[in-house]
Amino acid sequence: MSMLKRRMFLGLAAGATLAGCGYRSVDAIYSQPAGSVPKQYANRTRVVFWSPYGGVNGKAVDKLVAKFNDSQQDVYVEVQFQGSYDDVAQKVAAALVAKQAPDLAVLSDVTWERFFLNDALEPLNGYFTDGFGPGVFQEKLFGEYVVKGQSWAVPFARSTPIMYYNRDAFAKAGLPDRVPRTWSELRSWVPELAKVQSGGRSLRTIAFAKIDGDWQFQGNVWQFGGAYSKGLDVTIDEAGAVAAGDWQREMVHDLGAAYMASSPSTDFANGLVGVIQESTGAMKTIGSKAKFKVGAGFIPSEVAAGIATGGGGIGMLRNISTERKQAAATFLQFLALPENSAWWTTQTGYLPVVNKAREDAELKKLIAEQPNYGVAIAQLENARQQDAIRLYGRNANVQIYTGLQQIYADNAQPKKVFASVARRLDVIGDEVKRLYEEKVL
Amino acid sequence: MTVVDLPARTHPDERTIADGNDQRKRRRRREYGLFALLVAPNLLVIAVFAYWPIIYNAFLSLTDWNMIAARPKFVGLANYGRTLTDPAFHKTLWITVVFTGLIVVGSLVIGLALAFLFNLPLKGRGAVRTIAFAPHILSGAAVATIWAFIFDPGYGLMRALIEPFGAEPPDWMNSSDWALPGLVIVYLWKNVGFAALIYLAGLQSLPKELDEAAAIDGASTWTRFRSIKLPLLAPITFFLLITTVIGTFQAFDVIAVMTGGGPGDATTTLSWSIYNEGFQAFNAGRAATLSIIMFVILLVVTTVQARVMERRVHYR
Repeated sequence: MSMLKRRMFLGLAAGATLAGCGYRSVDAIYSQPAGSVPKQYANRTRVVFWSPYGGVNGKAVDKLVAKFNDSQQDVYVEVQFQGSYDDVAQKVAAALVAKQAPDLAVLSDVTWERFFLNDALEPLNGYFTDGFGPGVFQEKLFGEYVVKGQSWAVPFARSTPIMYYNRDAFAKAGLPDRVPRTWSELRSWVPELAKVQSGGRSLRTIAFAKIDGDWQFQGNVWQFGGAYSKGLDVTIDEAGAVAAGDWQREMVHDLGAAYMASSPSTDFANGLVGVIQESTGAMKTIGSKAKFKVGAGFIPSEVAAGIATGGGGIGMLRNISTERKQAAATFLQFLALPENSAWWTTQTGYLPVVNKAREDAELKKLIAEQPNYGVAIAQLENARQQDAIRLYGRNANVQIYTGLQQIYADNAQPKKVFASVARRLDVIGDEVKRLYEEKVL
Repeated sequence: MTVVDLPARTHPDERTIADGNDQRKRRRRREYGLFALLVAPNLLVIAVFAYWPIIYNAFLSLTDWNMIAARPKFVGLANYGRTLTDPAFHKTLWITVVFTGLIVVGSLVIGLALAFLFNLPLKGRGAVRTIAFAPHILSGAAVATIWAFIFDPGYGLMRALIEPFGAEPPDWMNSSDWALPGLVIVYLWKNVGFAALIYLAGLQSLPKELDEAAAIDGASTWTRFRSIKLPLLAPITFFLLITTVIGTFQAFDVIAVMTGGGPGDATTTLSWSIYNEGFQAFNAGRAATLSIIMFVILLVVTTVQARVMERRVHYR
């Protein structure tokens, strides 16, 4: 082979591989991730369901899936635990590059949008039935996945933050047996709580999350009258958000009453801190770990009320066969049955996403016995969808919680921190702007 | 591997020159064939798993791609321009250099000291050697989980050790001042045993004559260490230097478990920022750009080290 020919050949080979490698064709049908089907379920259509729920919540998912598999003859759902919400999103993206696709995946409040914007999700309106679709699901939670009349996921493990408090510690401190109504009220309780000893130290009032704390902070910003953004126009550097940041900075650094924790819920369950803002989906887990009476209530207000919805919805991947799509839809329909939605709530603490689930006898009984399980449901009227920059901006959440870390760890001035976060968010917003305007507005 | 150019054995008197050339060509072709056959399997594996990813990565660094979109958008050198002028990137580089420097120097110095200690005829040194080496073979995630517990300000071991002296332990992983030193401690703990083991092997293979001769001539212990043992250990030091620099540059597991690059950006090293751009932000183009930059840095560092050492290191 002459030199020239060889060069040409190498060039062509490299070019061909570059062009053909790794990109998703929107309408191609991809293979399923590997797994195993028990003998008694052989000869059914297999549906692979990627889940981020481990521990107590993971067991509940397993039980729901087992119930589904035993309820009919045609479909076998295989649940595959993939780690955190972020892990699931990473793995779905990686799978698509490798031309593989799970059939269903739980996507978080900040990850489903990027799959939707890039045509990776199957529109769900075509699968709706009388028992599965608008009117069946709680309106707000269902509506968050509806863009221009089309549903791109359905709510499953949806949550809001609620305030958990250590009732034993509150009693020792001589405080009322309830959560504070405003952040100012909580601040006025700092001296009383500090008198309580726990683990050889005086009890601290509140712990802020090191990772993903920007979800709770989204609500805090609203409560102080601000917003992360209006549309994609970033406003985190404006008065309300800065006031919320200042309040938290003072609690940590001026009063020594708050701190940044790797896992606020673990610290809370171990009695190290008086209150936390944590997902309602952590209710069962906290209850099973804590050795004191756990109370729960609304997240305090300040100048306004308002909390962010969060948690996971289930999306169906677009790059799968029609047969797999139909089979996956039957599982989604199963999850939308009121008794299943209600059971999931009783096992985890997540919101009942189906309207009729709230009439379920078991759930009603649980709420009557343990009012904590009713808090998030009652609080739902204050809940709303988050500001667009956090939902649609790639990595916006990480930029915000990294900024919060600087406030908690370094006593950085919120005004300065948020100005720098805002500059980054502006860039992030610009990146997604074209797709956002084309597909969402 | 090179192909040996065999001189033609035929004598011009016996055969024509053309004949000889022909035979030589044929033989050479056969040798090339055998050579290709022997290296092909290895070459193929290296090409698929090492060279191809590097080339593909270089290509991705010229694109804007979120890994979900149907195809990447070609943006030329925009990612490089943006990265190289970003103050956050400069800080990341600085943190990486400090982190690497501390761990490399620490590993070598402590490793060498331990090696001398282990070389002494003390009772139970076998067990101690094993204990010192063990952290090296533990998985990074496990090590990180253990140290996260040790450092925890609420229920950690460190608190139990420090508090009796009336001091409050720092909140290691949640403080910008302490997080990086904390990580350095963990990586040193993990690496030192390896360095010590390699140094020990080196020490034990040193020729005794030189040392004894110097001792007879009245050289002090320090002089013998500085002028005889250390220079003789230079190849070992060189090996450890390169492997530790590369290993530390790529350190990821412990950072991921213990700090996640935080608080703020206090422990955001180059390798963490690659992960963050790639798998948190889904920014394949910028992650690839950072990877290429890291690749180039390591290539330069290794080349410089090799050049310098070529002159200084004398392999026996």
